[in-house]
Amino acid sequence: MADGDSEAFLSIREVSKTYRTLSKGTTVALTPSSFDIGAHEFVSIVGPSGCGKSTLLNILAGLLAPTTGEVVLESRPITGPDDRVGLVFQRPVLLPWRKVIDNVTLPIEVKKLRPKQAYVDKAYQLLEMVGLKGFENAYPSELSGGMQQRASIARTLVYDSRLLLMDEPFAALDAMTRDEMNVELLRIWRAQKMTIVFVTHNIPEAVMLSTKVIVMSARPGRVREIIPVELGERGLDLTGNPEFGRIVSHIRGLLDQPERGAQP
Amino acid sequence: MNSLITRERLGDVLFALGSIAVTLLLWEGIVRYFQIPAFLVPPPSDVARALMRNADLYRVHLGYTLLATVIAFFVALVLGIAMGTLTAEVRLVERTFSPILIALQSAPRIALAPMVIVWFGFGITSKVVLGVFTAFFPVFLNVSHGLAAIDREQVRLMQSLGASPLQIFFKIKLPASLPFIFAGANIALIFAMLSVIVAEFVGSNRGMGYLIVNQSNQLDTTGVFASVTVLAGVGLVFHYTLQAVRRRLLFWATDSESLGSGL
Ligand SMILES: Nc1ncnc2c1ncn2[C@@H]1O[C@H](COP(=O)(O)OP(=O)(O)OP(=O)(O)O)[C@@H](O)[C@H]1O
Ligand SMILES: [Mg+2]
Repeated sequence: MADGDSEAFLSIREVSKTYRTLSKGTTVALTPSSFDIGAHEFVSIVGPSGCGKSTLLNILAGLLAPTTGEVVLESRPITGPDDRVGLVFQRPVLLPWRKVIDNVTLPIEVKKLRPKQAYVDKAYQLLEMVGLKGFENAYPSELSGGMQQRASIARTLVYDSRLLLMDEPFAALDAMTRDEMNVELLRIWRAQKMTIVFVTHNIPEAVMLSTKVIVMSARPGRVREIIPVELGERGLDLTGNPEFGRIVSHIRGLLDQPERGAQP
Repeated sequence: MNSLITRERLGDVLFALGSIAVTLLLWEGIVRYFQIPAFLVPPPSDVARALMRNADLYRVHLGYTLLATVIAFFVALVLGIAMGTLTAEVRLVERTFSPILIALQSAPRIALAPMVIVWFGFGITSKVVLGVFTAFFPVFLNVSHGLAAIDREQVRLMQSLGASPLQIFFKIKLPASLPFIFAGANIALIFAMLSVIVAEFVGSNRGMGYLIVNQSNQLDTTGVFASVTVLAGVGLVFHYTLQAVRRRLLFWATDSESLGSGL
């Protein structure tokens, strides 16, 4: 393993993405961006629609090749879908013909992980951890939206990914379920000692969860500011925390007033 | 839970039997009351008697028809799934065969029955060939529709796990298009039996189609009705068998997903 001091856990180096389409020619979705993320950080990405958040996440997941630059995870570049990286989608994307447990063990089958029984045991433990004990043999249609998303998180955690990427994972949930899922996610993050990159449109959510918030802006998509968050205690009720309020309004301000003269 | 479902199904069955019984009674009553001659419309009691008396005859001819139908159905199923998959997954195959298949699909394929007899003779081969020829299309079309309607997020999920195209096919595309395959199979089974019977009308010395032509030539209307009754019974058995298989395999699919065209 790499010696943790000299190298960041995850390093984004001059990564950019230009889409070429028949209808619009080229779209610069992301201008060259560089930043580092440390091990066991919780990083949120916020920004207006179309600023390249999903593009960046798909590049980190190895699903999309960057136009320039590279992504290095623990000293090894990411060149395609990678066992070290897990992706949670906005929708749960459970396969309706598989029981919940068989959805969670899907990555074990696809990646042919061995010893199989150990991973299957882990799948059951993860379901218990995300609060789905007793639903192992249910079908996805029998679960609520929040429960389905928990199952999909368990599915991503079942193989030993070190980096968890989440693209607006709770956007489709109602506010109360969303709060619940946020608390759950913090618990999982602490228990699993993993690194999370989390895309959201909800600024208080981003500040509440994160150790670092990356603010992006659009046209062209780029990283505007990286804001460290040091709140001490994390939890749902941070309204009384002055630091929380300060960071939230700072980010709101950034997003409300586009920079002048940034257009190339 | 379980006993509730079976009780509900038992109710369905009883209701269906009841409505058939009432229909038969009405039929019997009308034929007798208006004294309709048996060579036009025989009363059901005559049909039932004819069926019993000649049970062996019907059994033998039905055997031939069923054999040809079942072979044609399974060949059409395999060919339809294979070709549907190839056209959906391989561009070259799609571009080569689609125009031909679309042309064939819009032609009245059953009209080729006389030629099929000329080409493949009086035996079972010609029946199977015509059956496959008509039953192939509903399967083929439904499979290609099903594969085109795959949830792209499910494919992306598999890609994010590093799945190979083969894994994506067997773990996502095949199960996801199963409702469509089923819709196609339902129609294919009916088409196969119809085609086999038509081929037997045109050129055969056995099978239900042959029997019906003979009976109507001899103005044996009761016999024709008995033959049609046998075929209707077989149709019911086919239908309920497929339904049962569907319920086992596709409990997860909503019914609207299995809508598919067959013509
Ligand atoms: N496959 C693609 N082909 C062409 N252009 C694309 C493609 N995907 C995204 N884009 C463009 O790239 C830009 C960034 O898109 P992206 O989806 O990354 O934004 P986003 O920040 O995730 O937006 P949202 O908040 O709405 O999800 C947009 O202008 C979009 O139109
Ligand atoms: Mg997005």
